[in-house]
Amino acid sequence: MDSPTNKLLTLRKLLAAGMILLLFCEAKAAETVGSELPVSFELDVQPVLTVAGCNTGACHGKQRGQNGFQLSLLAFDSDFDFDAIAVSARGRRLFLPVAEESLLLRKAIAAEPHGGGQRFAVDSYEYRTLHNWISQGAQRRIADEASLITIELSSESISLEAGASARIEVVAVYSDESRRNVTQLATYLSNDDAVAKVSDEGRITAGTIPGETAIMVRYMNHIRVVEVLIPYGQQLPPDHFASMPRSNFIDDLIYDKLQKTSIEPSLPIDEAVFLRRVYTDLIGRMPTAQEARDYLTSSDDNRREQLVERLLNMPEYVDYWANQWMDLLRPNPYRVGIKAVFNYDNWIRQQFRDNVSYDRFVHDLVTAEGSTWRNGAVTLFRDRRTPDEMATMVSQLFLGIRLECAKCHHHPFENWSQEDFYQFAAFFSQVKHKGTGLSPPISGGEESIISANSGVVKHPNTGAIMEPKPLYGSLMSDRSNQGDLRQQLSGWITSTDNPYFAKVQVNRVWAALMGRGFVEPVDDLRSTNPPSNALLLDALADFFQQSGYDLKQVLKLIVLSRTYALSSTPNESNVQDRVNYSRHYRHQFRAEVLLDSIAQITETPNEMRGMPVGSRATQIWTHRVDSLFLDTFGRPDENQDPPCERIPDSTVTQALHLMNSRELDRRVRSDQGRAARLAKSQLSSAEIVEELYLAIYSRFPQPNEQAFATSLFDVGTNDAQQHRRAVTEDLMWAMLNSPEYLIQN
Amino acid sequence: MPAIRTNCQGMTRRDGIRLGLGGLVAGGLVGTLKARAAAEQRTADLARQADACILIWMDGGPSHYETFDPKPDAPAEIRGSFAPIATKTVGMQFSQLMTRLAALSEDLAIVRSIRHDQGNHGAGNHYMMTGAPPRIPVGCGAFVSFHPSMGSVVSKLNGAPHGIPPYFSIPRMSRSGGPNFLGARYAPFEVPDSPTSSSFQVRDVTIPSGLTEQRYDSRQQIKCQIDQMLRINEQAAGDPVLAVDEFYQQGLELVSSPAAQAAFDIHREPDVLRDRYGRNSFGQRALLARRLVSAGVPFVTLYEGGWDHHEDLFNRFEEKVPPFESAIAALIEDLRSQGMLERTLVVALGEFGRTPKINDRGGRDHWSNAMSVMFAGGGTPGGQVVGATDRQGYAAIERVLAPENFVSTIYTKLGIDPGQVLYTPQGRPTHLVSDATVIAELMS
Repeated sequence: MDSPTNKLLTLRKLLAAGMILLLFCEAKAAETVGSELPVSFELDVQPVLTVAGCNTGACHGKQRGQNGFQLSLLAFDSDFDFDAIAVSARGRRLFLPVAEESLLLRKAIAAEPHGGGQRFAVDSYEYRTLHNWISQGAQRRIADEASLITIELSSESISLEAGASARIEVVAVYSDESRRNVTQLATYLSNDDAVAKVSDEGRITAGTIPGETAIMVRYMNHIRVVEVLIPYGQQLPPDHFASMPRSNFIDDLIYDKLQKTSIEPSLPIDEAVFLRRVYTDLIGRMPTAQEARDYLTSSDDNRREQLVERLLNMPEYVDYWANQWMDLLRPNPYRVGIKAVFNYDNWIRQQFRDNVSYDRFVHDLVTAEGSTWRNGAVTLFRDRRTPDEMATMVSQLFLGIRLECAKCHHHPFENWSQEDFYQFAAFFSQVKHKGTGLSPPISGGEESIISANSGVVKHPNTGAIMEPKPLYGSLMSDRSNQGDLRQQLSGWITSTDNPYFAKVQVNRVWAALMGRGFVEPVDDLRSTNPPSNALLLDALADFFQQSGYDLKQVLKLIVLSRTYALSSTPNESNVQDRVNYSRHYRHQFRAEVLLDSIAQITETPNEMRGMPVGSRATQIWTHRVDSLFLDTFGRPDENQDPPCERIPDSTVTQALHLMNSRELDRRVRSDQGRAARLAKSQLSSAEIVEELYLAIYSRFPQPNEQAFATSLFDVGTNDAQQHRRAVTEDLMWAMLNSPEYLIQN
Repeated sequence: MPAIRTNCQGMTRRDGIRLGLGGLVAGGLVGTLKARAAAEQRTADLARQADACILIWMDGGPSHYETFDPKPDAPAEIRGSFAPIATKTVGMQFSQLMTRLAALSEDLAIVRSIRHDQGNHGAGNHYMMTGAPPRIPVGCGAFVSFHPSMGSVVSKLNGAPHGIPPYFSIPRMSRSGGPNFLGARYAPFEVPDSPTSSSFQVRDVTIPSGLTEQRYDSRQQIKCQIDQMLRINEQAAGDPVLAVDEFYQQGLELVSSPAAQAAFDIHREPDVLRDRYGRNSFGQRALLARRLVSAGVPFVTLYEGGWDHHEDLFNRFEEKVPPFESAIAALIEDLRSQGMLERTLVVALGEFGRTPKINDRGGRDHWSNAMSVMFAGGGTPGGQVVGATDRQGYAAIERVLAPENFVSTIYTKLGIDPGQVLYTPQGRPTHLVSDATVIAELMS
């Protein structure tokens, strides 16, 4: 599985496009603009400011600019930039009679003290362009100025041998049908430098390891992506996958991709690994010793199907999947109040208990009305109180579109403008709060969320009243034209014409089961972040729509695929694959899964404040319920805004806690616990060992394990009963401290 | 084929001792993970002045009048019933209860002119702990975090010797003392138990009580034998088992290392020193902080509540302050006698100062226009006061400074560039501190 650190690195690199890499761009002129040619502000000057890094988020592109000089981020707003350069500060940045005396140029070549240092030299294309524009009078537009229509790439998908390189050419196409090679003025960014690097001149060089990545190409506000593949191994024969067993279309599309990338999948897993995998994935707990024994000794051919069916109808299913949505939805009770959060938690659980379809679930949330004391769903709007807060949350959760950036500036990697953002936010303009608002840390009052007939959202810069408008498509379906603005929005979001809605949810579910989403982060769908298997993501989204947005059907389809049941042990060709699901990607269990398994294994109930004794951790109604164990194993912290994503990395603190926690030791050695019970029982030492392996690892011990563990009981001692119990406890402790317990294999 | 390791390479506690791993805590052995993190994350090592910071957080907001900024010339309803006392430094006065710190004034720099505009506990704590104001208005009791705390940042960028958590918050985390977007692995290691008890242990770093050493060793050996899981010994495969192994090993080394164990064990200190710190929980926690810093921990927060004196301020101060300031004095003296003061920064503050006029309940209310912050050690020139409030203590008027300057100073002393850009998980660039200007008077 792809480590989150890598994901972060990828993201970070993406942002670095706007920030750091550009600082080092030293683009050379693709073609020289002679002084006699008119220089256009939009078509010539702004690209220079961008390629020189002036308008990045770390420099003058940041909000409030740098030392009083602010440009629009990456030149998304030409009027703003023109004003900043030629008009504001009483025009002191330009000196038309003697262009080279302009502050703009003197700063850029560091003839005046400049925090950003020298951006380009006097004999550069960049300098000449700015100089000529200034000496021509620094016009906002030149006569008959064309506009940039689009950019075209010489190639949008390439396959390279390790170490090989290729070059992309970028051509800008203008409204007057003229074309210009802007390869040197475009900026490039690889999503994964280890797979393929890209130079400032558009040369892509494959790394030494196989893999896939995307390279973003940007010229002004036009963004394209080049997909790069470095094949994993020797090309496989065309019929290589023909005889491989398939359960459903998942396997077809996975095999197609493996064929294309020349990856041999790992071997299938045995029943024991399947058992533990599917229990923890579907219901968030490990099988009990008895459940494991029953399953492993069954000879029924359909036992996997039957097991999956049974699991999907267990009460733990409700709590586990609700628990995953809690991470995304549930606010801090110190902010919105205990009762509101408790009701919200209860409402979310009820949706899973009733197996409400996903579109209904989202519809009821987005359109929720009523009192926080009666309808838990309205707590969403008690927590997110303004249209812009509501819009960012709804678009990210239910469309996988991260609009946060567009709130303050044009989105750096997508074509979302501030206008798009506030038009979308306008759907929430008529949400009104009535009753007692927030008064942290108690916020105990009752509040009602109502849909008023009035209320507007204004553009923060222009003050214009924004008409509600969806981000793409239109409010065409019957459902959308009825009711208030949120009803219309919900109709558009949940419509089967809206592919994002199903995609982001199946991507999230796939990531939960397979250790990695097709798209990572799971709710960041954008053209510059292409899915690792677009066809399969589309097919699963279709299937989800066809099923009537039934989560259980998607889960069943995935866990019964052959792909799901591949081993995590790699072979030579797939050891480096981390995106094509040619093997299972291991991951550490969630904090709640581990704590509940400790209760189950040690046979000691969880005791948590504000919860009945014996509650499962997945039933906790707020992360504010104290638990050193859950904190140590990385549950989200509701104090954080936004709550931290779960980082599944292991830490030394976790190792120390398992090893030395008095609490865990107490549970292992409890007089009421499993070890004490087994020691007191009539079971032979071999049977105790078997019971422990089934309870902790969900499998029978291998003969050598059985022999070793049984031998521990045989060492002579004065008090046989005491010894028997101590060995049982120590075995249990040792197994709980092993990676086989902590990691889903 | 990738190398797959299936043989047992565990190590028992006794092995650890036999191999002489005791020295690891002194910094001899640096884990690969830490080295990697350091290589990736550490910005150009600025001229580092301190290796560690002990931050004493006086939760609630201590009165500046009754600590480091007395106003004897103000009217009675402002100056209160305490008198100023002279310190060893000419012209520097403290309030009357700060006697032991007054005697150490040559080691202290008092900044009287940090101010901000966040007059409630949640927001004030956030601003001082992170150097960033809360993005949205927050309520008084709110526990919020929009930005990583200093301790978490130091934890990530400077790290600690093998196996030792780099950031402690004792007994618990303050409101905004968490990692925010840096992630849970940079959260503070809390030590909730009272160190005055004779059975006190730092949690999770010693053998659980009631378990013999022999039995503990036997568990390790059993673990080593039964731990048969395949390890995909190939970084490219991203196998999380490798990290679990690594951290298990580190944890075991920590438990096995006499030097590391010593760091956590305040019972090893001579009684006379423990008495000097004071046999109260804050005093003993201060002593534990010094031991942790000796072992290489770069950031320790000592959280001490009860400074929100809306009423009966003077009586409560008489009770609270003497043992408290005496423990801080003992800490500074102890650091000096250990030769550690030059490289250890000690800072004491709360979220803000208190209102000038004493209210009708004999207390003072929240006041963020003025506060006093104490610095000692870590290359801080002592015997000085930086900045000043007006004659009645209403507002900082000379050398007016912001929380950003305060936090930037601490980072810079620890060799961290406060102007650097960090990235949130969403990829958004965020300045570590928006204004990276340090308080120059505090730099050596």
